[in-house]
Amino acid sequence: MPQVASARAEFLVGMRAFAPLSMSIIPFGVVCGAAASTAGLTPLQASAMSWVIFAGSAQIAATQLFASGAPLLVILATAAIVNLRFLMYAASLATHFRGQNRRWQALIAYLLTDQAFGLTIVHRTQHPERQTDLRWFYLGVAGATWLAWQLATIAGILLGSLVPPSWSLDFIVPLTFIAMVVPLLSDRAMCLAAAAGALASVLLVLPLKLNLIGAALIGVVVGVVAEKLWSRA
Amino acid sequence: MNVSGELAGELFVWSMIVGIGVATFLIRYAPIALLARLELPAWLTQALRYVPPAVMAAIIAPPLFFADGAPTIHPDLARIAAATLAAAVAWRTRSTLWTVVLGMLALWGLQALPG
Repeated sequence: MPQVASARAEFLVGMRAFAPLSMSIIPFGVVCGAAASTAGLTPLQASAMSWVIFAGSAQIAATQLFASGAPLLVILATAAIVNLRFLMYAASLATHFRGQNRRWQALIAYLLTDQAFGLTIVHRTQHPERQTDLRWFYLGVAGATWLAWQLATIAGILLGSLVPPSWSLDFIVPLTFIAMVVPLLSDRAMCLAAAAGALASVLLVLPLKLNLIGAALIGVVVGVVAEKLWSRA
Repeated sequence: MNVSGELAGELFVWSMIVGIGVATFLIRYAPIALLARLELPAWLTQALRYVPPAVMAAIIAPPLFFADGAPTIHPDLARIAAATLAAAVAWRTRSTLWTVVLGMLALWGLQALPG
């Protein structure tokens, strides 16, 4: 059965493509798990965050808001805004996974991450001839990401309390975001959106911990307006 | 904490986890399930491009400028310097691993400085 063989081969190629990324996902997951348990979540709740939500940035944002006593609706809205980028990834992947049945679509959606999206688009561009087995490549990357994330957060929940705060391991969170945001700054409008978001998050004083939402919206508006103005000039 | 307070806390946390989980799944699923028939409007695609840089910058900045959760602006110079170096590393290497490793080493080095 050559078809099964090529599906399995693509699945393994996907898993192998994930390997270098594990070095950055595992520390982030450990910190995420440790933060959730430090914020007062039980081990079951903290690990449930990882398999129910399965989105590191939203988990960290929600954990920080929960620890600071933010209202439930603000936490939900902030997490949704942080995850809005998946709308963009899913719209892009939809063109490649159009023919899949509902079950595959749900699985692809649940496992969608920055890493799975990025690697799949690169693989699709480099190997257009393997388009039929693209879902298996995706499943290899995304499945490996999922497993690494679950194990890393569990490790963080179990070991987090053993690491003294003086090690400043919480700094891994902003460092991971720096590594993600810098490659995005490809033009002036993107830089301006990031600068506006950062500035607003520091200067904006909003009630109910609405700062992240407010800063994100300001950043997006500044980016869109800058793009409009510069494209007209 | 009394029993009903504990229960309310449990309910809060589970509502948070399940609520975010459902919202996240719908955000990821809707375009894959629906886009065969409809396309995102151009203005939305354009605006969505700016969500990741705006959100990520807004997550990165506050802990640098409100040291130890201070209520007013109180810059943490060691963290700001280490974050700046990490941004330069990210720009040069495009590697999360090197950004995290060198950023942490820079922070530890700066924190070990006397004064």
